[in-house]
Amino acid sequence: MATLAATSKSKPRRRSELGLLIVGIIVVSFAYVLATLGVYNQLPAKFATFIAILVGVALAMNLVNRWLVPEADPVLMPVVLVLNGLGFVMIMRLAPYENAPHLAGFQAAWSILGVVAYSGTLLVIRRSRDLERFRYLLLLAAIGLLLMPMVPHLGDAAENVGGVDLWVKLGPITFQPIEVSKILLVIFFASYFVEKRELLSMSTNRVGNHLLPDLRPFGPVVFASAGSILVILLEKDIGFSLLLFILFLSMLWVATGRWAYLLAGLVVFVVGTYVAASVLSQLTTRIDIWLDPWRYLPPGANQGGYQPVLGELGLGQGGLTGTGLGLGNPQAIPVAESDFIFAALGEELGLIGAAAIIVGYVLIVGSGLRTSVRSRSDFSKMVALGLTVTLGFQAFIIMAGVTRLLPLTGVTLPFISYGGSSLVANYVLVALLMRISDEDSELPAPVPRGMRAVTARRAERRTTAAAGAR
Amino acid sequence: MLDSRVIRVGVLLLICFALLLMQLTNIQVRQAAALDRNPLNQVVQPSPFFGPRGEIISSDGYVLAESKRTNDQYHYLRVYPPLTAAMFSGITGYYATAVEANPFGIEASYNQYLAQHESPVNSLHGLFTQHLETDDVILTVSERLQAAAMHALDSQPDAQSGGAVVAIDPRNGNILAMYSNPSYNPNLFAVHNPAAVNALATKYNSLPNAENPLYNDAIAALHPPGSTFKIVTTSAIYDHHPSIANQSFPVEALYDFPHTGSPPKTIHNYAYEVCGGSLAAALAVSCDTSYSQIAYELGASSLASEARAFGFGSVPPIDVPGAVASQFPPPSAIDAPSASPYLAYSAIGQYDDNATALQMALATAAVADHGKIMAPHLVSKVVGSLGNDEFVYRPHVWRRATSAKTAASVLGLMTGVTTTNIGTAYTVFQGYYSSGFPTAAAKTGTAQPGGNGCGTYNWLVAAAPAGAGQTPSVVVAAMVPVLSSRACAINPTGASVAGPVAVAVLEAALRQQGGG
Repeated sequence: MATLAATSKSKPRRRSELGLLIVGIIVVSFAYVLATLGVYNQLPAKFATFIAILVGVALAMNLVNRWLVPEADPVLMPVVLVLNGLGFVMIMRLAPYENAPHLAGFQAAWSILGVVAYSGTLLVIRRSRDLERFRYLLLLAAIGLLLMPMVPHLGDAAENVGGVDLWVKLGPITFQPIEVSKILLVIFFASYFVEKRELLSMSTNRVGNHLLPDLRPFGPVVFASAGSILVILLEKDIGFSLLLFILFLSMLWVATGRWAYLLAGLVVFVVGTYVAASVLSQLTTRIDIWLDPWRYLPPGANQGGYQPVLGELGLGQGGLTGTGLGLGNPQAIPVAESDFIFAALGEELGLIGAAAIIVGYVLIVGSGLRTSVRSRSDFSKMVALGLTVTLGFQAFIIMAGVTRLLPLTGVTLPFISYGGSSLVANYVLVALLMRISDEDSELPAPVPRGMRAVTARRAERRTTAAAGAR
Repeated sequence: MLDSRVIRVGVLLLICFALLLMQLTNIQVRQAAALDRNPLNQVVQPSPFFGPRGEIISSDGYVLAESKRTNDQYHYLRVYPPLTAAMFSGITGYYATAVEANPFGIEASYNQYLAQHESPVNSLHGLFTQHLETDDVILTVSERLQAAAMHALDSQPDAQSGGAVVAIDPRNGNILAMYSNPSYNPNLFAVHNPAAVNALATKYNSLPNAENPLYNDAIAALHPPGSTFKIVTTSAIYDHHPSIANQSFPVEALYDFPHTGSPPKTIHNYAYEVCGGSLAAALAVSCDTSYSQIAYELGASSLASEARAFGFGSVPPIDVPGAVASQFPPPSAIDAPSASPYLAYSAIGQYDDNATALQMALATAAVADHGKIMAPHLVSKVVGSLGNDEFVYRPHVWRRATSAKTAASVLGLMTGVTTTNIGTAYTVFQGYYSSGFPTAAAKTGTAQPGGNGCGTYNWLVAAAPAGAGQTPSVVVAAMVPVLSSRACAINPTGASVAGPVAVAVLEAALRQQGGG
C-alpha cells in the first residue's frame, strides 16, 4: 500500500475514476432515498449502513484498480457501480411486494461477492495471455458447465421456471452455470480463431478455371450452430443460446472477415430456429406472444402474455419522466426483479431514466471496444471484443424482449437484474476487460514511464504488429 | 483489418441500442396515452380504482355513497345506504369497481374528486412522497325533497314508467330534486362480482328507455311538451309582436287553418271546449284555437328564435353526463303554406316539439327569474379531507331567454292558471292555496303522441311564490306518461296526472325553504 500512495500522482486515470465513482455514489444514494421515501413514506432506516457499504465498495474498487490495473479505462467501473446500484435500489423497492424481504440483502451480498471476484480475477490473472494456455481445458469446463443443469440431482427443478432448465443447485446455492461458461467460451473462441485464422480465411479451391468454395472452414459454423440448437433443445432456453450464437458468429467474422460465414450462420440459424420451433412448442408460443401478447392474458389456458403486457403498461405509465422512484406500481409485473427489471425501471424513471440506463451499456460497450481496438495482441483484442459483445448483446436481448422489439427470452440484465451468478460472472467479465485495457496502455519495457507523448510510436508499433500477423 | 471489423461490430451494437431507444419512445411517449386508457391498467395502477372513494352527501347531510373496507382483492366496497340508494340512483349513478362501465351520474362527473388522488404538496417531504386523499361531494339536493319527489311520482296511481320530476331554484340554478321512475339499487352494480354486474347491466339496457332504470328520463327523455310550450309562445308575443297581447281572440271550439283548401283543415280545443277572449284567458284555459291564430300572426321564424333563446336545440350544462338537447323544428319545416297546420301544432308543443323535463323546468325558470336561465347543477361544493373547499360551484347564467319585462308579463299571466276558476290548474291547486302557500304560476300540458290512442304525456310546470313583485324561489316540472289502455278510461290531463306530483314537490320545496 505504500507504493499505492507513492504512485497515486502518476495515475490520472484512477483519479478520474475516483471522481466518477463519487458521482455514481451520489446518484445511487439519491435513488435509494427517493425509493424508500416513495414506498415507505419515510427516510431509510439503514441509510448510514447503505452509504458505508456503497462508499466502501467504490473505494475498494478504486484501490484495487490503482494497485492491479493502474492504467485501465476509468469509465467502466463507475458505470458498473451505477447500474448495480440502481438495480439494487429497484430490488430493494420491489422486495416487500414480492413477499421476499431477503432479496435486497442477498443482492447486496452478491454485489460485494462480485467485487471480491473482480479483485480476485485481477489478482490471479496478471497477464491476459495467461488465459490462452488452458484453451481446451476452458472449452471442456464451458461445455461441462453448459451441461450441468441436465445432470440428475444437480438441476434445480424449483428454479426452472417456465420450462427453462438453466439452474443448478449446489448445496444451499443455486446458480446459472451458463453465465460463467459464456466467459470461458469467449476465451476459447479468441484463442482458437486467432490460431486458425489463416485456415479459416482460406476461401476457395481452384479446380481448373473455376473457383469452388472450400467447405472445410464451415465446419466450426456447423459445429457451433448445432451446439446452440442442442442447448435450445436440451435446456429449452432461447436467450442464452442466441447470445452464444451471436458471440460465436461475431468473433468468427471479426477474425476472418468472411461475409460467407455470416450468411451461412444466418441461414443455419433461421433453419435451426424453424426446426426447433417445430419440435419445441414453447418456441412457437413465445413468438405468438411476442406478436400479440394481449391475446394471451388470463383467464385462458396460456397466460404467457400477462408479464409482457403488464411490462408494457408499466412503461406506458412511466411516460417521459416516470412516476418517480417508489411511486409507480411495478410490483404488479410478475417477478419484476428478474427479467423484467428494465420495465420496472422504465416505469419509475421514465423514458429519460431508461435511456440513461441504455447509455450506461453503450458506455460499457464503447469502453470495451476501445480496449479491443487499442489492444496489441490479436488474442486480447478478440477476448475484449467477445466479452463486450457478450455483455452488450445480453443487455440488448433482454431489453428488446421487455419492450417487444424481439421475442422475450429469459436472460438477465447485466448488473441490474437480481441474481448471484449473473452478477459475479459479469464482474469477472469486466475484470478481464480492465486487465486488457491496462495492458493496452502499458508501454514497452525500454520506454520510461511517464513519457506519454509517444502516440506516433504507438501507431507505428501497431502497424508492425498487424503486419507481423499477416 | 481486425480493428475495422471490431468497429463495425460496435456500430451494429449501437444500431441495436438506437432501435431499442426508438421502441421505448414508441411505448413510453407515442402509445402512453392509449396504454393508460387500457382497462387492464387497473392492475398496473390500482390505486384510483381499488382505493376508497369520497362520500356523496345530500344538502341536508345524508351520506348517499360511501366506501367500506373489504377483505377481498378490491379492498373497498362502494356502499349506497339502503334508505336513499334507489331514491338518488339517477343522481349519484353507480361505481362498478369490478367492471368497466359507462359512467354516469355524480360518480362519473366528479370522479376526479371522489377517486383517490394526490393531495397538494405542502412540504419538501411531500415533494418525494405520495399522499392520497379523497374529497366529499355535497349536493344541492336534499334527502327530504328528493324523498317527496320520489313519493309524489311513485304514488301517482296512473303514472307509468318513464315519468320525471325536476325542482330548481331559478335564482341560482340549484337543482332541489330530480327523480325519474323506475329507479334502481346502485348497490347491485357496486358488488365485486363482474358476472352479476354485467348480467344486470345487459338486462337493464335491453329494456325500452322508459323502463330502463339506468336511463335518466328527467334529463334524457324527449317527449312533446304540449301546452307547457305556450310559455315560450307567449313570451314570443311580447318579444316579437307585442300588439298581439292586446288582441281579443274569437271565442270558438274550432279553428280553420289558413291555406289548407276547402273544406279547410281544422284544430279543435281540448274536449271541443269553446274558448277565446283575452290573452290571459287564452293562456289560463290553454285555448288551442287562440294559440293557433297567434302562431300565424307570429310566424315560424319568431317562434323558432324564441325557442332557441329558451334553450331548445342546446344541451343544458347540467353537471352530470347524459343530458340531451330539446327539439324545436327549423322554421323552414313549419313555414311553408302546405305545411301550415304544423306551425300551429309547433306553437302548442306538438308535432316535432320534444323536450325533457329539465328543459321545461328551465323554460319556467326563465320567466321566473327575470328572463335569464341559470346553469342547472346538482353539486354545491366539494370538500377536501381537511375540511377545506376543493371546489365551489359558482352559479352563472346559462342563457338570457327573454327580457325581464316579458318574463314578468308571462309569469303574471301564468298565475291566472292557478288562481282563476277557468284556469286548467285551478282545481289541482285548491289544496295548495288552502294550506296557505303563496301565489303560484303554472302551466299544464297534455300532449298526444302520434296515433289515435288515448295515451298522453302529461305535464305541469309551476313557479312560486309568483305574486306581484315576488321572485319565485322554486320551479317544478313534472312529466307523467299515461300510455296504457287505461288512458282511454281516465282521460289523463296534465292537471289531473302531473298536477298532484308537481304540487306536492312545490309544497315540500316551499316548506323546506321556509325552514319548516
